[in-house]
Amino acid sequence: METVLKINNLSKNYGNIQAIRNVSFEVKKGEVYGILGPNGSGKTTTLAVILGILNANGGDYQWFEKPFTKLARRRIGALIETPNFYPYLTLWENLKIVAKIKDAPDEDINHALGVANLLKRKHTNFGHLSLGMKQRMSMASVLIGNPEVLVLDEPTNGLDPEGFAEVRNIIQSQAKEGKTIIIASHILDEVEKVCSHVAILKSGELIANGRVGELLSSDETVFIQSERIDELTEILNDSELTSKVCMVENDLAVVLNTNFKSADLSKFCFEKGFTLSKIVVKKQSLEDQFLELVK
Amino acid sequence: MKKLFNLEKIKALSYPTFKTLMIIHFLLFFLVILVVSRAHFSIPGFSIKGLYQFPNIWQFFPWVASWFNLFLAIVIIVIVGNEFSFRTFRQNVIDGLSRNDLIRGKLILIFTIAVYTFIMVLLAVLIFGLINTKDLSFSVIFENSYLLLVYFVQAIGYMTLGLLISIILRNNGLSIIMFILYFFPIEPIIRVMFKAEARKFFPIKIISNLTPTPEFLTMASEKSYTNASGTSSLDFSEIGLLPEKLPVGITVLLAAGYIGFFIALSTMLLNKRNL
Repeated sequence: METVLKINNLSKNYGNIQAIRNVSFEVKKGEVYGILGPNGSGKTTTLAVILGILNANGGDYQWFEKPFTKLARRRIGALIETPNFYPYLTLWENLKIVAKIKDAPDEDINHALGVANLLKRKHTNFGHLSLGMKQRMSMASVLIGNPEVLVLDEPTNGLDPEGFAEVRNIIQSQAKEGKTIIIASHILDEVEKVCSHVAILKSGELIANGRVGELLSSDETVFIQSERIDELTEILNDSELTSKVCMVENDLAVVLNTNFKSADLSKFCFEKGFTLSKIVVKKQSLEDQFLELVK
Repeated sequence: MKKLFNLEKIKALSYPTFKTLMIIHFLLFFLVILVVSRAHFSIPGFSIKGLYQFPNIWQFFPWVASWFNLFLAIVIIVIVGNEFSFRTFRQNVIDGLSRNDLIRGKLILIFTIAVYTFIMVLLAVLIFGLINTKDLSFSVIFENSYLLLVYFVQAIGYMTLGLLISIILRNNGLSIIMFILYFFPIEPIIRVMFKAEARKFFPIKIISNLTPTPEFLTMASEKSYTNASGTSSLDFSEIGLLPEKLPVGITVLLAAGYIGFFIALSTMLLNKRNL
C-alpha cells in the first residue's frame, strides 16, 4: 500500500523548548490516522512542520514518497488551529482564493459550501460568522480541489453538538471515499469513533502508535472478588501473569500482561485454591489507554 | 504569474482599507496639483504656469506625486501585515503556494500599484501639459519624460522597503511607526555618523533623491534666496531642500540595487522564519 506520509526523527524547537523530539511514523493510503496528546504535546507543531509552515530543526518527512513540493500540497486539504481567512472577504471570495491556488474549478466552491451547510451564507463576510460556522467554513475549504489527503487539527473545536456530528459525518464520508485522513485531537471519543490508527504524543515524544484495535487490546484489566483477598493480591503481585494489581473500590483490579487472558487468570486462581465470586473483564477504552500512557 | 496576479486582485480590490487609501492618494495628488495651479507667487524668474508646461511638468508632477509615495508604502505594509495577523500567509502555503510565491504575489501587487500611479501621473502630465503649453512640438513634449520612469522606480523603492519592514515586524502598527521613524530620525541620525561623502549613499537618501526638488526652486533661488530686506541669504541646500545629488543614472542604479536588496532580504526572511 502506498505510503502517503513518512516522518523520520522529526524535531522542532522553539528557543530552548523542544516542542517535538525524534517523532517518526508512517501513514498509509486510506488510513484515518489520529494524533492524540494532551495540550502542549506537539500535535499541532507536528502537523505545522509536515505542512511546511514551520521549519524543522531535525529529521525529515516525505509526502507521497517524495520530497514535499507545492504540487504535493495541492493534493492535501488542511486545517491547522484556527480558521485562517480574510475577514473582509465573503465565504465565496475566500474559497475562490483557495480554488485558484489549487487550480480547482469554481463548481468545487458551491459543492464544498453545500457539504459544510453554508451555501446560504456564501455572500456573508467571513468576519461576520460565528465560531462554529468559521470551523465549518474551514472544513469547506479543506474539501476544495477534492484532495487525496485531509489534515485536520482539532476539527470540532468550537462546535455545538449538532455541528460536532456534522463534521464527524463529513470526516466519515470522506474516509468511506477512500481518502487518507490525519486528525489531531484531544477529544478521544472523536478519534476512537473515526480513526483506524493512532499516534500518541506526550511532551513532544511519540509514546505509542498503531492500529486502534491493537492499542486497545494490548492489555486486559480484570476485576475480581474473592475471599482472602489480601493473600490473593500478594500471590498475583508475584505472578508473571500480571503487570499491575490494585484495589478499585471493592474489586481487585488486575492488569494482565499482554500474553495472558482472563481465562489464564481464572485457571491460576483455581490452581492456587481461590474461588472467584466475581470476574469481569474490561477492555480498555482509548481514553483509559491514553490516560495510562500519558500519566 | 497570472494566478498570483488574480489572487492579489481578489485580496486587494475587496479590501475597503486598500480602496480608501488609494482613493485618498489619488485625491491628495490632484488636490495639490489643482491648488498649486491657482496659487500666486512673486519670485523673480519663476512663474507657477511654467510648472504646468512641457518640459518642466515632467519634473514637477512626479515630484509632487513622490510626496505621497510614503502612502503607497503604508498600503503595502497594511496588506502584508494583514496576511500575518489573519494568518492567511500560512493558509496560502498550506493550500499550495510556495513561500516564494507569497513574495512574488506581493511584488506583483507593488508593480501593479506603481504602474497605476505611473499612469495616473502620466495622464495628469499630458492633460495639464497639453492645456498649458503653447508651442507644442514632439521634442518639447517628451523632453525630461524619463523623470516619470525615475518616479516609477522610486515608488517601487518605497513599497519594497515597506514590504521588508512588514515582513520583519509582522505587525501593522509597529511597521508603520518603524517605517516613518526610519525616514526620520533613524536614517538621518545614522547618516550623521558617517563622512559627508558616504551620506548620499544611504537607502532613503538615494530613493528620495530619485525625484529631486524641481529645478525651478534652484532657478528661483540661484542657490540662495535673498530675503526681503536683502540682508541675509538662505542656502536651500543647507536646509536640505536641495540635497547633495549624484547623477540620475547612478542614483537609479543604486536605487535598483537597494530594491534588489530589500526583495532578497524579504525572500530570505520569509523562507527562514516560521509562518
